[in-house]
Amino acid sequence: MTRVAVATLALLLLVPCTSRAQISFRGFGDVGLTVFNATQSFKAILGKPSGPVFGGGVEFGERQFFLSLGAQRFRRTGHRVFVFENQVFPLDVSDTITVTPLELTGGYRFRSSGRFIPYAGIGGSWIKFEETSAHSTEADDVHETHAGYHLLGGVEVPLRRWLAAAVDAQWSSVPNAFGDSPTSVGGVYDEHDVGGFTLRAKIVVGR
Amino acid sequence: MFLSKTAGVLTIVALALGVVAAQDGAPGFRTFISDLTPPGIDNGLRNSEVPRPPRPYPTDLPSRNGVPYLRGSIAVKFRPGTAPAARRLMIDRVGASTMDAPSYADFNIVTIDDSADPEAAATTLAQQPDVEYAQARYIVHPMFVPNDPLYAQQWNFPAIDMEKAWDLNPGGTSSIIVAVLDSGVAYRDAVLRRNVPAWQGSNGVTVFNFPALGVVDIPFAAAPDIAGANRFVSPRDFIWNDNDPLDLDGHGTHVTGTIGELTNNSVGVAGMAFNVRIMPVKVIDSLWDDILGSPFQGTDDVVARGVRYAVDNGAKVLNMSIGRSGPPSPLLQEALIYATQHGAFVSIAAGNDFEQGNPTEWPAAYANSIQGVVAVAAMGRDRQRAYYSTTGPFVEITAPGGNQRSGGTSGGVLQQTFDFNFVETYAFGPARYGPPRFDVFAYQFFQGTSMAAPHVSGFAALLMQQGITTPAAVEAAMEQFATDLGPSGRDDQYGFGLINPRASLRGLGLAK
Repeated sequence: MTRVAVATLALLLLVPCTSRAQISFRGFGDVGLTVFNATQSFKAILGKPSGPVFGGGVEFGERQFFLSLGAQRFRRTGHRVFVFENQVFPLDVSDTITVTPLELTGGYRFRSSGRFIPYAGIGGSWIKFEETSAHSTEADDVHETHAGYHLLGGVEVPLRRWLAAAVDAQWSSVPNAFGDSPTSVGGVYDEHDVGGFTLRAKIVVGR
Repeated sequence: MFLSKTAGVLTIVALALGVVAAQDGAPGFRTFISDLTPPGIDNGLRNSEVPRPPRPYPTDLPSRNGVPYLRGSIAVKFRPGTAPAARRLMIDRVGASTMDAPSYADFNIVTIDDSADPEAAATTLAQQPDVEYAQARYIVHPMFVPNDPLYAQQWNFPAIDMEKAWDLNPGGTSSIIVAVLDSGVAYRDAVLRRNVPAWQGSNGVTVFNFPALGVVDIPFAAAPDIAGANRFVSPRDFIWNDNDPLDLDGHGTHVTGTIGELTNNSVGVAGMAFNVRIMPVKVIDSLWDDILGSPFQGTDDVVARGVRYAVDNGAKVLNMSIGRSGPPSPLLQEALIYATQHGAFVSIAAGNDFEQGNPTEWPAAYANSIQGVVAVAAMGRDRQRAYYSTTGPFVEITAPGGNQRSGGTSGGVLQQTFDFNFVETYAFGPARYGPPRFDVFAYQFFQGTSMAAPHVSGFAALLMQQGITTPAAVEAAMEQFATDLGPSGRDDQYGFGLINPRASLRGLGLAK
């Protein structure tokens, strides 16, 4: 994680050195679908291991190198459960999981002679992980922040001079985010990573 | 039966007697002359009475002579496909005369000579190639210790954090049926007309000759703080072989109160799962049952039939605050397996004989080998194992059962049952002896693993209501979230520890 942050910071410093005259600043909004790494755990609580995410952020850079800072939000409500011999018993207690990653990504746009501009990136993330349930006390609920890292790749399509669309795929890992307790679904399935694979569509505004 | 578990002063000595009727299983053995009586009388809290003297017991039964089984018959199960002629040949070897196939049973009752030793006959029969098992008809009794009612406080529910648990599941719903296999339940109004003959009994010190009372009308009423609209379902009496499992003792009514006493009704006390429906299944006889001539006693085979009946009629939880020491009982074991295989969870009192040599108790001792059957130990208000609570590898969980030795009278578990001044009319000898009344109630403190088991039954009902639908998973949910007591981890005193209903009902989240 530290290495990723250092690399991202190096990219941040690199950008102004290489092309001081061509710095651009853009904003973006995105919508996507995340499949969590902790497949069994999320499926037990929410009924499926995936769900929609929404987000946005800012990006600046030059023609090839860029740096983005984005945030996303996943929120779904399911049920607390009991797991016995691989059978999941949903209980009559609602359980809401909220995952809010703040991601810093350094990336590179590959040169392309066509309409599509491929890009790739690497970065670090800070994930706010929250779990609340019905009839819970403050001690029962979870409000934690964890650090992780991610890799992404995608293509961008310029639509106007100030408008572009992009599709990217991102894999992230946030190890040891949950599941320490044996009386947790993560503990039962030995799953502890709140990262996942996300497919996103973006609208980018700016020059 | 209430008295046999404590100090030697309560020992019952056997004497001759001729009261209890023959084993006549014909239906319609009793005549109820009316279903209408005035409402039950609630005499309130009993917290200042002097301790009642030991009950005298009739003395003609083998059980009253210290032999814990019936004479004159044994239970046997033949292997499937055994021809009738082969069965006849085998039972002839033990001098059997007849063989009955009772309802709700996969075994037979074989009649042998009264002078024959049932255990020896069973051993002989069990050695035959086509016999799966054979056993004497051991007598089961309620699992609680005598108490002296003196207080008015339910400490047992806060001790397991029930107030917060009720936030998560307020008492279950009527979709869950809990069967109470016990001495019956004060579940309805009735008047029984019955001839009460003379009988003789002893309390260990004095021999009493109780006179005949002639034909008397005995009133029954539903316990006011337990009964409600559509509260009771499929009642069955295996002691009288009819569908009127009226409590002539008070034990079953008290146990039922802990499971499902009406709550939030501004009356009396609370119960664990106060919205569930109760199935009264009478499998234990009391002294008044014996005096009035009940055709059956609470033997293993009767209890086993009760288990199967309850399961076949929709019970999802079975409470068995009953048991006995002595040899194992294959037919009880099979009945418990039958229950769990048909989706019913079973809570069994672990036993009250720790200070009587701590013998293995049955059917509790089957609990650790059958998922979905739990043997329940008792703790007192001080969260320590109650002095009487049997220990052993079969103990799986602990619940409040009371400890009046360390906690005084209010250290027991408080629930509504009979006012024993109107039931135990024999308690002070023939001079004050008269017909009983089962329509006068009071709140009484009892202690025993009998009182612990219904906490677990009520808890199981809430878990099933909450969504944990298999007996094995219910047991696992109880054990996983139990509050560890005593030595770290599972131990023979507390099992996995004290039940923690709130934690179990909350279950697991993603992170905690």
